[in-house]
Amino acid sequence: MTQSASETWSVRIVVPETSSLDAAGETFDLEVREDETILAAARSAGVWLPADCQQGWCTTCAARLVDGDVAHPNARRYYDEDREAGFVLPCTAKPRADTTLIVGQYDDFLEFRADHGRPPGSSKLDT
Amino acid sequence: MSDEKAHGSGAVEPGDTSKRVGAEVIRERGVDPEELREKLIDAIGAEFTTYYYYTNLRMHLAGEEDYKEITEDARLEDRAHFELVVPRVYELEGSLPNDIRDFADRASCPDAEVPTPMDDGGNFDTSDLEVEDILEVLLEAERCAIRTWSEICDMTRGADPRTYDMAQRILNEEIDHEAWFIELLSKERDDEINPAGHFARGEPGDAPYSTNNRFNDSA
Ligand code: FES
Ligand SMILES: [Fe+2]
Ligand SMILES: [Fe+2]
Repeated sequence: MTQSASETWSVRIVVPETSSLDAAGETFDLEVREDETILAAARSAGVWLPADCQQGWCTTCAARLVDGDVAHPNARRYYDEDREAGFVLPCTAKPRADTTLIVGQYDDFLEFRADHGRPPGSSKLDT
Repeated sequence: MSDEKAHGSGAVEPGDTSKRVGAEVIRERGVDPEELREKLIDAIGAEFTTYYYYTNLRMHLAGEEDYKEITEDARLEDRAHFELVVPRVYELEGSLPNDIRDFADRASCPDAEVPTPMDDGGNFDTSDLEVEDILEVLLEAERCAIRTWSEICDMTRGADPRTYDMAQRILNEEIDHEAWFIELLSKERDDEINPAGHFARGEPGDAPYSTNNRFNDSA
């Protein structure tokens, strides 16, 4: 299906039961424009997702892509192996299809980065 | 006064120097002092790297004396932000990484590199370097800093007034810095008047909110 640049995609955000976020156990369905980040869309819809730099660098916002597709045109530190393992950074991720994300994956992502010798995991965890 | 209150310092026995009440009071209020401390190391890593990178950005604003002076101000204030918070890391029983590469890698904000490739001789290829591109790097660095210190304000609000006080002092200056670079970039790139609206700061590096000279004369 082809859509024009101003189209929106349906994005489902799953907050795990075990998350420390207030919304633990909840699922949110948002319409997100192709030129909008998933984090910005969520926060403007009143869904508070974790983030810090909002430049695709710090990994605070890390999530897992379980369905769909996103692009990270402005992320400052996003590697091919992140994409291959299904990790995404909602602060800079823009939808390219109807998409489902599991948020609150910072700890797992830090370990994943450390295992691959990538920052910031490599500098924050002893592995 | 209840008995409970008299023993309000929680799990720290009288005379026990292996624990700090200064950290336990934070834990009692629901914030993990270790997690906070690690976040502070990331945040001051970013202050330290921007202090470094702004040196280079400033150098490359060649001939733009007013831009250089403002960048110098932001640069020295980032050093002040680093120095304001370093003692807090140690109070919370942390330390700076031994390897500066680890410190830079874990910084919570991106490297603010000069926005130009290197030439074949390993020097900056400045042939296409535009002033507005440097101003944009500066602006985005300030925006990241605002987000980081806002996060730390959120983490500490109502639980750790000492760290909160530091974070909000720094945040005050980061918001000033964003306003400066919005004004300069608007004029330079778009020929648009977009005033920061600020009065004179004093000397570069005064860091009116955040200098730790007022807390620590030896700094
Ligand atoms: S908030 Fe820093 S990478 Fe997303
Ligand atoms: Fe700063
Ligand atoms: Fe700043």
